[in-house]
Amino acid sequence: MQTTVVGSYPRVSNGPEGQRLRKAIAMWERQEISREDLRRVQVDVLHEVVAEQAAVGVDLVTDGNITWYDPLSHFAAKMDGLQVGALERYFDTNTYYRRPQRVGPVHWRGPMTVEDYSAAAAASAAPAKPVLTGPYTLAALSAEGASEELVMEFAEALMHEVKALAAAGAPHIQINEPALVLRTDLPRGYNHIAGLVLRGKGNAKTTLFTYFGGVGPMLDDLLMLPFDVLGLDLVQGASTLKALAVTDVEKGLAFGLVDARNTKLEDPKAVAKAVLAFKDRVPLDRSYLAPSNGLEFLPRARAREKLEVLVTAAKLVGEATA
Amino acid sequence: MSNALRTTTVGSFAKPDYLQRARNRHSAGKVTAKELDGLTRQATKEVVEVQKELGLDVFVHGEMERGDMVGYFGENLPGMRPGELVRSYGNRYYHKPVIASEVRWDAPVTVDLWRYAQSLTDKPMKGMLTGPYTIVEWSFDEHYGSRREAVLAMARAIHHEAEALAKAGAKYIQVDEPAIHTRPGEDFDLAVEAMGVVVKGVSAEFHTHICYGDVPKIYPGMLRLPVTQIHLAFKNANFELLHLLEADPWDSKKELGLGVLDVHDHHVESVEEVKEGIKHALRLVPADRLWIEPDCGLKTRTPEEVRKKLRVMVAARDEVRRDLAL
Repeated sequence: MQTTVVGSYPRVSNGPEGQRLRKAIAMWERQEISREDLRRVQVDVLHEVVAEQAAVGVDLVTDGNITWYDPLSHFAAKMDGLQVGALERYFDTNTYYRRPQRVGPVHWRGPMTVEDYSAAAAASAAPAKPVLTGPYTLAALSAEGASEELVMEFAEALMHEVKALAAAGAPHIQINEPALVLRTDLPRGYNHIAGLVLRGKGNAKTTLFTYFGGVGPMLDDLLMLPFDVLGLDLVQGASTLKALAVTDVEKGLAFGLVDARNTKLEDPKAVAKAVLAFKDRVPLDRSYLAPSNGLEFLPRARAREKLEVLVTAAKLVGEATA
Repeated sequence: MSNALRTTTVGSFAKPDYLQRARNRHSAGKVTAKELDGLTRQATKEVVEVQKELGLDVFVHGEMERGDMVGYFGENLPGMRPGELVRSYGNRYYHKPVIASEVRWDAPVTVDLWRYAQSLTDKPMKGMLTGPYTIVEWSFDEHYGSRREAVLAMARAIHHEAEALAKAGAKYIQVDEPAIHTRPGEDFDLAVEAMGVVVKGVSAEFHTHICYGDVPKIYPGMLRLPVTQIHLAFKNANFELLHLLEADPWDSKKELGLGVLDVHDHHVESVEEVKEGIKHALRLVPADRLWIEPDCGLKTRTPEEVRKKLRVMVAARDEVRRDLAL
């Protein structure tokens, strides 16, 4: 069993050096440094978090979403037809995002994540996985909500992004759809929407990750979608475990079993035991152990410790199934 | 003081550079607690002076002693442990505390600086507290494992602090609950119950401040909160929340705090746009129950931006009073 992360990673840590990105952004906002100066610091921190994940032993790393203002406006600000609007709470977290507002037809303007993916891939010994916020979540958290038309416009725009990432050599591309946990069934036509997003993926493997809640009632439908791996938050979404216990799964799962929203550290043995309960129902050799959601809700040092729990637990699973 | 369209602010002011530097140096052990306290008082005095100069009606002390609204209580309430930095949005971070054991209240936390600030003015000085739901929601709970238990324990601690402020003479006490709509269906009743614990038997006028979340989901339910005033951030979304009050009338017994300045935008509002928002609100809430305030704490803006924005707020209020002969 391999390990991966969901996307975000804490971008500051204790001490002046650990806060260089925060300072650089403040200086850029005051026009004391150039955009290029800021980018240098962003890439430096991005390299650092990629190296940190790899050093702990994570098998499939991300860029930590280091340059994202938030998971919505990072995309909304780079697509045509959208404005970035009022502050809103991001699900039930203590973070906020800027609400996208459609002001015209939504179109892909150009790559939004390729540069950061390339920077991560260049710095990492482990393969890097770019992450995109999914079309349903982008629409559901926008000012107008998830109309079918808007979801489709986002899907078309993301299709171009997936194609650009595949062309840049991404071996694995992940679509994050946390807003699906707010529903009890898949949005109408989501299979088609997912197919559209993935149309240009080439040989890249793909993951759909849901988090901030459970998806038990729609688990079967999620497993039918054209992704190689389904990522599940099994902490805040522990209710999904019940559905999983009676489902035979053919594709890989990303077991989000390490709580990315609480500092309390898990016992790796307990995490491994939770995974092993599914060894006869899930192909563990194609599955991952992951945090329950992005790690940026934790302090940096604790995020690293959570990764250590993951890696240790995955080794225990490997030993038990060898 | 006319009761029509009273002005106040939500709590925090931007820290002057000298104080921020001293706080950093204090963390590094290079400035003593006594030296830091002196500079904190100096900055508090400056905040009071600004409010005098602007002619606000009810003052705040500016929260110069607080890193942020939750971390500060994490540093001072027994049972809590100061936390490390996590991001809240954009480039903003706070020290997210940890609830490590039973939360208690042993002694006043905020009273000393409140008393100092009040001594600098005849205007009423608000006591400033963070609400129990928000403190728990924005902390890591390693102890209770039950939100209900944690929130009610925190409410008991904050109640003691409110009692101490009232005994010291605070006429107004604001209990901020910006996280109150985090889980509107699941937890709102708990947040109301917790506010009841905080205010019970305390002789003061309680205000609460709520911002940036799913306000429509807790309106009109929020009118059950046992407080005199509910303050909401209106300007951030160009007063669109006022439509809620058009659909469901505001409780005539409660005051509405109208946020008229976007504290997350460098742009300084025009007097006209603020007046428009006030006049819109006046069609829904009588002037003696409508307070004019920024959307949220002002620490996100530079001291110069704060002055400019607050000047606009006061000018708009004055013009509306004149226009409508209030």
